[in-house]
Amino acid sequence: MKLKKSTHLAWNILIHSKLRSWLTIIGIVIGIASVVSIVSISLGAQQQVQNQLGNIGADILTVSPGFSRAFFISSGFVGSGGKEVVQMGRGNSLEQSSSSATQKNLTINDINTIKGIQNVEYVMGEISDRETVSYLTKSATLGITGVDASTWKYVTTDTISSGRFLSVGDSNAVVIGQDVATLTFSDIPLNSKLTIDGKTFTVVGILSNGNGIYIPIDQARNMFDVGGKDYQFISVKISDVSEANATVNEITKMLMLERGEIQASQQDFTVSNPAQLQSTIEQTTGMLALFLGAIAAISLIVGAIGIANTMFTSVLEKTREIGIMKAIGTKNKDIMVIFLINAGMIGFVGGLGGVILGAIGSGVIGSLASGAAAGGRGFGRVFGSTALTPALLIGALLFSVIIGMIAGAIPAYRASKLKPVDALRYE
Amino acid sequence: MKEEVIKIGNVWKKYDMGSADPLVVLKDINLKVYTGDFIAITGPSGSGKSTMVNIVGALDKPSWGGVYLKNRNISDLRESALAFFRAKTIGFIFQQFNLIPTLTALQNVMLPMEILDVSEKLAKEKAADLLTMLGLGDRLHHKPTELSGGQQQRVAIARALANDPEIILADEPTGNLDSHTGKFVMDFLGKLNKSGKTVILITHDLDLVKYASRVVHIKDGRIEKGVKK
Repeated sequence: MKLKKSTHLAWNILIHSKLRSWLTIIGIVIGIASVVSIVSISLGAQQQVQNQLGNIGADILTVSPGFSRAFFISSGFVGSGGKEVVQMGRGNSLEQSSSSATQKNLTINDINTIKGIQNVEYVMGEISDRETVSYLTKSATLGITGVDASTWKYVTTDTISSGRFLSVGDSNAVVIGQDVATLTFSDIPLNSKLTIDGKTFTVVGILSNGNGIYIPIDQARNMFDVGGKDYQFISVKISDVSEANATVNEITKMLMLERGEIQASQQDFTVSNPAQLQSTIEQTTGMLALFLGAIAAISLIVGAIGIANTMFTSVLEKTREIGIMKAIGTKNKDIMVIFLINAGMIGFVGGLGGVILGAIGSGVIGSLASGAAAGGRGFGRVFGSTALTPALLIGALLFSVIIGMIAGAIPAYRASKLKPVDALRYE
Repeated sequence: MKEEVIKIGNVWKKYDMGSADPLVVLKDINLKVYTGDFIAITGPSGSGKSTMVNIVGALDKPSWGGVYLKNRNISDLRESALAFFRAKTIGFIFQQFNLIPTLTALQNVMLPMEILDVSEKLAKEKAADLLTMLGLGDRLHHKPTELSGGQQQRVAIARALANDPEIILADEPTGNLDSHTGKFVMDFLGKLNKSGKTVILITHDLDLVKYASRVVHIKDGRIEKGVKK
């Protein structure tokens, strides 16, 4: 029998089994939708982590105030250029915040100490805060970072899209990220005037991406409520990436010495290695995805059992028809193919529904998560973006068809092995 | 001289009944069927005539003995070869019509041809011709449930003729029909026989044996001797 005919007969079985098939299909829809949502959210989270942390650069270490014994992300991954507080302790549990020794800002002494360490190329202190930014008639509260114009271009992985970086001697000059120029405000050109906290700045450069706003640190100091010589972050560019961990340890040791502290419990700063952090977060999101995926897989297994059950019932119901078909010459192989295609169709229709529902679901979950993370904090922002790739959608559909066919294999085999004379007698 | 189409030689059929004694349904059956024969197999209910027909039609296998199609033993063939044999050589007509309920009359008649990979176009043409010949030209796209018993049996006859088989095996073909339709079916089987088809009719209705050229009576699993037309 030709495949076209087998497919037609399989379709015939599907459309004439009505409610039972559709209930089974709903089971598969739910299973596939769960898998698609979870995988797309996990992929999106991994991409988000890569996008945000990938910009930091493996050769840039950050020193931030406060020390945490547990791993946490204190202000999310907003902005670009690795200026966020990203703290990493020795544990592997995830927490929103954790214990710390008395938190103090970093000082010029810290910068000088770090400068003297081997493998350190450039060191830059910076401060940041949120201020009201206005352009023409539009205003927004955005993060402003004060940077040292002499070293900034060496310790950032940002690139200039138009204009230039800040230069020594710049006054009332600002460099803005692409998103600020095009999304937050509408098309800010170079040399236009921005008002930050009531002061007017000239846009001298626009970065290729991100939503950062950078001004000379001295002007930032006047604007923010930060101590005279204090810094909120220190960025350290190293020359040999393979020595990153050793350099982290050396910086920690020297800063402790400089503070006259010996006990680790007194540590009031954190030195982080972005590459290591990235790998840890990727590992964590990967494990989380695996865990959630396993839960989704359970619903898919239940769906598959539903298919097998439907197929067994279908074979039982169609026993007499199988007998008729065998009597008029249908081979065992053809009967098996018809029922396998029927099971595959249940999987396909269920998979199609699941992919559509999963795509909608991941979009809804993504927007809910990003809505919850509107403050820009933590994992909400990470899970606020989803990745629906064609490979994921096609893969899920294919997976559903295969699951259907596997679940239908035994019933189909049983149907094919029915003796025609027995099947014809079946009432 | 007539050619031997089917020969049943020393066929026994028994069913194991677990701890009870096996049930022997056919006992040393011997029968030769020649081209152009119209054989009526008669016998009371439970005599074994249906089992015998199942074995002749390759739907079942004998416990002992051989079934020969043109001197070739088919009782040892694999299921796929038997399926091909059934599709090509035998046209079944059942008492219960046995049409596929989800297919139209036309699709039911096309099915045996499509099993043998006849093109859809050709199968459709031939199926429509057969149904029209049987007076169902205006019922091609009706499903079995939309047809009367007589119409369903005519669809079943068309299906039996789809692959132009040598043998028509009719198992109580008038059992579910009124006398008028039953007569139509029997007359049609008579016409088919006259056109050269070998017809094997299973019936318990002795009125129908008049259509047959030979009568085989089965009782208690054995062919009774001395039965003649």
